Amino acid sequence: MGLRKTHGHDALREVLEREHPRDMPGLLAQLRSGDVEQRRWAARDLAGHPQAAVALGTQLLRETDAAVRESMLNSLASQASETAAGALLPLLRSEDPQLRNGAIEALAGMPKAVGPRIAGLLRDADVDVRIFTVNLLGELRHPQVLTWLLQVLARDTEVNVVAAAVEVLAEVGGPDHGAALRAAQARFAGDDFIGFAVDMAIERIEAA
Amino acid sequence: MSHHVLVIDDAATVRMYHRKMLSDAGWQVDEAVNGLEALEKVMNRPAGQAFDLYVVDINMPKMDGYTFVRELRRLGSTPPAPVLMVSTESQMQDATAARDAGANGYLVKPARPAELMLTAALMLGDAAASMRAAGKLVAGATA
Amino acid sequence: MRATALPRRQEITDADFLKFREFFYRKTGIHFDDGKRYFVDKRLIERIEATGADDFRSYFIALRFETKGAELQQLVNAMTVNETYFFREAYQFDCMVKDMLGEVVKRKRPGGRIRIWSIPSSTGEEPYSIAIYLLERWPLIDQYEVEILSSDIDTTVLESAQRGVYSPRSVGQLPQEYLARYFKQRNANEFVISRDLVAAVDFSRVNLTDANDTRAFRDIDIIFCRNLLIYFDDLSRRVAAEAMYDAMSPGGFICLGHSESMSRITPLFQPRRFADAMVHQKPIKGDRA
Repeated sequence: MGLRKTHGHDALREVLEREHPRDMPGLLAQLRSGDVEQRRWAARDLAGHPQAAVALGTQLLRETDAAVRESMLNSLASQASETAAGALLPLLRSEDPQLRNGAIEALAGMPKAVGPRIAGLLRDADVDVRIFTVNLLGELRHPQVLTWLLQVLARDTEVNVVAAAVEVLAEVGGPDHGAALRAAQARFAGDDFIGFAVDMAIERIEAA
Repeated sequence: MSHHVLVIDDAATVRMYHRKMLSDAGWQVDEAVNGLEALEKVMNRPAGQAFDLYVVDINMPKMDGYTFVRELRRLGSTPPAPVLMVSTESQMQDATAARDAGANGYLVKPARPAELMLTAALMLGDAAASMRAAGKLVAGATA
Repeated sequence: MRATALPRRQEITDADFLKFREFFYRKTGIHFDDGKRYFVDKRLIERIEATGADDFRSYFIALRFETKGAELQQLVNAMTVNETYFFREAYQFDCMVKDMLGEVVKRKRPGGRIRIWSIPSSTGEEPYSIAIYLLERWPLIDQYEVEILSSDIDTTVLESAQRGVYSPRSVGQLPQEYLARYFKQRNANEFVISRDLVAAVDFSRVNLTDANDTRAFRDIDIIFCRNLLIYFDDLSRRVAAEAMYDAMSPGGFICLGHSESMSRITPLFQPRRFADAMVHQKPIKGDRA
């Protein structure tokens, strides 16, 4: 016993022959009805199949194993296509925080793909969707982030959406955004938190 | 004897805001950005220095507020420290979800300072702070 | 005499520092308190100059909006201490022999195989430290068969690890008796590790984000992945964590670096606090969702 001496590279474990072919229909079948291990591997291997994006998105709403979900989200994130972005959007409306935040994380990595959808999301009737979209802007590397934030600041009627935008602006804004922040503060004049958040943001962006 | 409060929220501004209010009341405040970081901080507390109160947001990445409270209760401290959930109305689902997870109360964001202070003070059993907060609440109501 | 203002490149204001601090904490979990001002400012100024930015604000905007995250990795590199040496962060090795292995063996039959994976191997200090700890400080070493696997993406360091030659600085934390037992001092600057220890580690070239590389790793009981993920971008970090989760046996443990946290990476693992360290564990069974 003790430390096992190695001699070159033994196979750590035989790679088991796959039961199903690794083409898309085979992988999707495994994704839907395999055991946990099979579903995880299928989710992972589907990263290489851009046409599987919609199926991944739909299956995410049904999958209960956390590791399989993470694999599916990561596969969509690697694809980073407009279809993948589209497949993730419905998750923003999910009751499940892991799905919602997983979707935001995945979308945050695909600015070009999700960019065209942002304006629509910021006009969504659902307050939560607007909040999550602003959260997404907080991580998104897209040239229009500032423009979108300023729009929210000027127009959104919900205090929590505006609060989220103030927070992001504190990080990405500059001295010329002071007026926009003050205007938002005035719009929600009764709200102590907005007052605090705007004061803090103004300090951060070093607006006079 | 100072109470230790852990504020858990992914928004830095909200953490700062709560920190300010809670430390103005004389309490020690620590922060975490999500339920998982919070759980790690709880586990790393030296013996005898457990947190006395948790102020917990619901929607956070990696581990949401409800899951945090359930995991916290599984860790099982004696006596169990009170948990105050603070979240947007839409996120709150309903009062029973918070209670079922093991929380002791909730407030809707943005919470009015005096309300947050009074609730926290009552949960901590800090009579002096309760009186001050109650006074502010009344003053605010009659202003 | 008129005071000259510092060029904007050389000046980090309080607001700059707070902005950087919050961003860095959000991204890495590392918090710099006010006392670290000098440490932070100096390195920020270095990065501002290295990237040719006009001032902190331009640097920060570029950092925040760059598509690939390369500068963030450089910044993390600059802000963290990167030395490798024998028995670095040894409290985790203590935890291994005192607590983690105790739980691992509950799921093994006598004489069973235990697998430990050290990644990145870098120049070998970590896997060899693990080997020494097992031989010297784990009472049950003779009752189980332990495999130490160690991987790195860089073949140069792998070769170096297999040559096993170390500087006085690298072996400086080792108790004298271990140094004498496992190394031969070749000259003033070189300590050569015993060939028995080299043979006890199975080195491999692995890219942690490539599923084809990691697929073969299975039934791992303990992973040491210290000060690696912190340098990855967000997606790569998640993919790597997922690969390691898959490589682990249920109930297996993973140790990150001192200032790293799973809370910035993935929800898949459960934190576990032992006397010497906090580590993370793959749940023993079932849906964690």
